[in-house]
Amino acid sequence: MSLLSQQLGSQMVNLGSALLLLTCFAIVAQRRLTACVDMFAVQSVLLAATAALVAFLTGIHHIYIAAALTVVIKAVLIPRILKQVVERLNVTRELVMNVNIPASLLICGGLVMLAFFITQPIIPLGFLLTRDSLAISLAIILIGFFTMIARKKAVTQVIGFLVMENGLFLGATSAAYGMPLIVEIGVFFDVLVGALIIGIYTHRLQDAFDSVDTTKLTTLKE
Amino acid sequence: MAWPLLLLVAVPIVAGLGSLLAGRRRTVEVLQCVSAVTMLASAVLVADRVIAGGSAAVEGFLHTDALSAWFDLILGVVGGTGTLYAVGYMGESMDRGHLPLKRYRQFFCLFDLYLAAMLLAVNLENIAIMWIAIEGSTLSAALLIGFDRSKEALEAGWKYIILSSVGIALALFGTILVYYSSEHVLGVSSEALRWSELYRVAGELDPAAIKLAFVFALIGYGTKAGIAPMHTWLPDAHAEAPTPVSAMLSANMLSLAVYAILRFKAVTDKTVGPEFSGSLIIVLALLSLAVSSAFFLVQRDYKRLFAYSSIEHIGIALLGFGIGGLGVFAGAWHLMNHALAKSTAFYGAGLVFLRHNHKSLERVTGLLDQMPLAGTAILVAGIALSGLPPFGLFSSEVLIAAGAYTAKPDVAYAFLALLAFAFATLLYQVLRMALGTPGEAGTAPGRQCRIFTGAAVGINLVVLSAIGLQVPPRLEPLLASIVTLFGAGIEVPR
Repeated sequence: MSLLSQQLGSQMVNLGSALLLLTCFAIVAQRRLTACVDMFAVQSVLLAATAALVAFLTGIHHIYIAAALTVVIKAVLIPRILKQVVERLNVTRELVMNVNIPASLLICGGLVMLAFFITQPIIPLGFLLTRDSLAISLAIILIGFFTMIARKKAVTQVIGFLVMENGLFLGATSAAYGMPLIVEIGVFFDVLVGALIIGIYTHRLQDAFDSVDTTKLTTLKE
Repeated sequence: MAWPLLLLVAVPIVAGLGSLLAGRRRTVEVLQCVSAVTMLASAVLVADRVIAGGSAAVEGFLHTDALSAWFDLILGVVGGTGTLYAVGYMGESMDRGHLPLKRYRQFFCLFDLYLAAMLLAVNLENIAIMWIAIEGSTLSAALLIGFDRSKEALEAGWKYIILSSVGIALALFGTILVYYSSEHVLGVSSEALRWSELYRVAGELDPAAIKLAFVFALIGYGTKAGIAPMHTWLPDAHAEAPTPVSAMLSANMLSLAVYAILRFKAVTDKTVGPEFSGSLIIVLALLSLAVSSAFFLVQRDYKRLFAYSSIEHIGIALLGFGIGGLGVFAGAWHLMNHALAKSTAFYGAGLVFLRHNHKSLERVTGLLDQMPLAGTAILVAGIALSGLPPFGLFSSEVLIAAGAYTAKPDVAYAFLALLAFAFATLLYQVLRMALGTPGEAGTAPGRQCRIFTGAAVGINLVVLSAIGLQVPPRLEPLLASIVTLFGAGIEVPR
């Protein structure tokens, strides 16, 4: 590959990663639950596109399979399950927040800086093509983590968890050029089963507590 | 091909799926007994083979070295008795009409898959596939904790699944970071994820990347090990889960999480030296000890009391690993004795719960009179868990204190102070439960329940006492190679 096309490829991958990060902020800034689910689907499509780009530029073919699985599972299947949960539980669509939106966005900005700061010493180790993806993937993981803490509804916590998973996947495919195929399939299977189990739990919580507001879970404390 | 190794992992899976499909209760019971006996026997055979030949493997899939074999012994023996106990405990719930056959079958399917996932995880050589197996155990545990579907159980299960998911995600990031640094040495292939290859090339890995990976793995798997400050799910989950599950959570799953941390520690130590990982582990271990001692005093629930004791003992074992040298030996020894003693304590607690249907610590007295089996289990396990001789936990705690004293005296002072506090509170509560005159009458469990739970408690107590006074000579080579994995070789004390 010539130097020019390598630079172009590197910039494209960075663009993809940056767009992924942008969708994280969009998820944090959403007021409506269904819009959150939609943004997650968009993020998954972008993730698949970035992974496919890496597969094309490096010629490592099994990343294509991972990208295809991302589209099927994370952009179609899981958003559909989540929307069904939202419909059937008849939860009020407005989000309940511990931290308001402007403050959340500021904190997420801080988390991005933190991610770059943490990964600074090991960035030069990476492949030239995907050098900044590692920092961005850590940023996405931290933002997903923050979403789980800052939003009260069970469904939003699930979305936070899935955003974390997306960050991990970006780290695995882009920064590390893909884990071996068996690992990727295993991780996907676990994520899918995890999402299903969390779905089952939200149903049972709704039945038992008449609510999926996790702040009502206060029976067990010291 | 190592048949015991294959059986150890495959039989619980087959028994679990068979139980789900079984038409009659009797079939489930037979399957579970076969699975329990196979687990006990094959764990011992695997360990035997590793002692004789250094390692055992099923080509391209499973690989067992000394560290894996040690955890096979812990998980296999306690998993076997746990299965027997579950047959007695869940059978009693069914006899009383609390549990329909369909749910009974579901329980055993989940329970066996949970055990199988853990046994698989310790015998895998690929760090990413190990992650997948550990995540599998997390997911099955989430369903088991909420199995009762009461409000409290659901709350505990939700807390567990959310916290563990975050933890396990961070651990995967740690795994990715290891791969990120190792693929530059070993190439983009699954070779770069094998423990043995990582140990071989550890010196060439990038120190900064490995340090970062260790921090993520420690926090991630540490959440699953219940070390403070990520321990908040643990008391709830242990208290609300059906008791056979509480025993497996405490004895097996926490040990498994420590195993995962140890694997990362071994690579880190070979790359940047033991000081870095050691000091991080020591801080978290002392914090766990402090938190558990503080909460011992305020407990009103006997299952929660044992849950906090698990946080304490995992902290003690980690302290040993953090100190290194002799501490590694003591830590491994501590984990095995803790698994046996703590599962016995939970077996006793479950019988008390079956009789009285409440978990209030104050209202339970005179167990030795009223329920000799549960009373003996709780009393003996309680004495062992307080760190009194003639049990292995005494010798490991002494060794860890001695190791800490030579390496870092300040750590030893803090350790001994916290240990004394925990010792007094736990022993007081256990003696109060076991001795005295019985209060309430309650409903005595049926005969079948007594036979199965009696067998489980009996096996655990026999093993616990047999290994209490000295390390069996047969196990010495195993412990010696574990110590070598973390640096200098030492003489195993007798």
